[in-house]
Amino acid sequence: MKKKLAGMITVGMLCICMAAGCTGNSAGDRPAGGKAETEKKEDKTAETEDKEETEDSEKKTGGYLFKSGQIEIAVDQNMAEIADQLGEPDSYYEEPSCAAQGIAKIYTYPGFEIETYPDGDKDLIACVVLKDDSVATPEGVDLSMTKEDILKIYGSEYEESGKGMVYEKDGTKLCFIMEGDDIASIEYNSPVLN
Amino acid sequence: MRQEKNGKRRTKRYQRERDRKRKQIRLAVSAGIIVVSLFLLEKLLVPKYVDGVVEGAFVQEYYDQEKDFDVIFVGDCEVYENFSPITLWENYGINSYIRGSAEQYIWQSYYMLEDTLRYETPDVVIFNVQSMQFDTSQSEAYNRMTLEGMRWSPSKIKAIMASMKPEEKFLDYVFPILRYHTRWSQLTKEDVEYMFRKKQVSHNGYYMRVDVKPAENVPEGRVLKDYSFGENAWKYLDMMRRICEEKGIQLILIKAPSLYPYWYEEWEEQIVDYADQYDLDYINFLTLVDEIGIDYSRDTYDAGLHMNLSGAEKLSDYLGQYLIEQSGLSDRRKEKELCKIWEEKTASYEKEKQDQYQYYGMEEEN
Repeated sequence: MKKKLAGMITVGMLCICMAAGCTGNSAGDRPAGGKAETEKKEDKTAETEDKEETEDSEKKTGGYLFKSGQIEIAVDQNMAEIADQLGEPDSYYEEPSCAAQGIAKIYTYPGFEIETYPDGDKDLIACVVLKDDSVATPEGVDLSMTKEDILKIYGSEYEESGKGMVYEKDGTKLCFIMEGDDIASIEYNSPVLN
Repeated sequence: MRQEKNGKRRTKRYQRERDRKRKQIRLAVSAGIIVVSLFLLEKLLVPKYVDGVVEGAFVQEYYDQEKDFDVIFVGDCEVYENFSPITLWENYGINSYIRGSAEQYIWQSYYMLEDTLRYETPDVVIFNVQSMQFDTSQSEAYNRMTLEGMRWSPSKIKAIMASMKPEEKFLDYVFPILRYHTRWSQLTKEDVEYMFRKKQVSHNGYYMRVDVKPAENVPEGRVLKDYSFGENAWKYLDMMRRICEEKGIQLILIKAPSLYPYWYEEWEEQIVDYADQYDLDYINFLTLVDEIGIDYSRDTYDAGLHMNLSGAEKLSDYLGQYLIEQSGLSDRRKEKELCKIWEEKTASYEKEKQDQYQYYGMEEEN
């Protein structure tokens, strides 16, 4: 009788574990768990199980690129790879998320700003924002230009989103935010911002 | 002969009956053991939120309270990190509770309020409007930190349905073990220690931090493609306003003085218009920092995102005065039973304050 009981319990547990295994990994972001040390609050608590996906995303460079001098900057690229090349930023700000779900970092360089998002123990580039007309896209559009210039250079295949003209290439969104016919902002956005 | 046959038949029938009963008992015992095992497993595996990330424990702590609050706050971290109910009590005798949680979306705030109204009807509800920026849930982790702590009720079910991202499953909220079975490798001794008991981690929903990180290099907000709040956000703000009207509760909208995420002028205009349209009080604390005396080089622990203890106490002192003068709340410090409850709460608050000063190697400012 004891053997039968043990057998039934084992089968029951296996069924539940299998059911759990089927449903458990569906969400992209992981629920948070408790951590032992208060001073580690800035650590990401929702441990990623999808490291392979992360490594793949870092290599995506087929989309639109921004160039600062000779340095190519792509969204979803590991910030550590380019931070050294770009040198000391003019300013730097950390935005820890509530309940230690990671830290967004904002680096301001002359003419542009880079914002990162945490992915495991890395900081990947979420967006590059062109702040003034001292910088331009590699194709030649800067903040002093107009809608007509954008259309001439990038064509008419864009998506309208609010005041934005959004061009997409391999997941990277190049977004021109307009104020009438003038360009108010130019952004390179990662698909994670969708 | 016939009697003998009948006797054998009866014996066989009796044996069959006995076997059947034994089987049923075995089955029931086995089922019981499985259910108990799963219950224990779930208790072990679900996050306890007692150290480090404590924000996930805030929502459930409300249910252990004596529910007779004058003021209930709902909203995101801008309520539970910026206002101290202890200061509201000590300085003004206002009995308040913060039903806040990390990145609490407005539909969650609404259902949190609906859930609260199952137990009590406060005089004032305070909602922080920063979450109007979101029209859909952004993160499962945040959903869970808010929803798992709610007691089961129609409000919780509606909150889950309104919050789930496409990849989430309702069943995972009913049986959290389905979601947390992979926590095996992350278990700590706290997971065992707090399987069956809770540790109070907030002070009436307030999350205390005494450390200081001055606000420097706070970025300006990025230009947005669209500054309009979404339809869903408006829908739940309307619902919140209506339920407060029905229950005779004063709804006060606030914007806490958090410097980042950026609060746009275009957002401000929409809230001001809404408050004007429905004759609601709206306090934007960002415009009152000088009057309140907030010093961003000393009153924030994370460079302007949230207040630290000194900032939260200044802010609460200002709010308390407003609530007494503008909302007509009365000082309840003459109620003996309530005073006894608050004595304990204040002692726990003071103890944590001292513990944190010691932890961060700081001295309390007078």
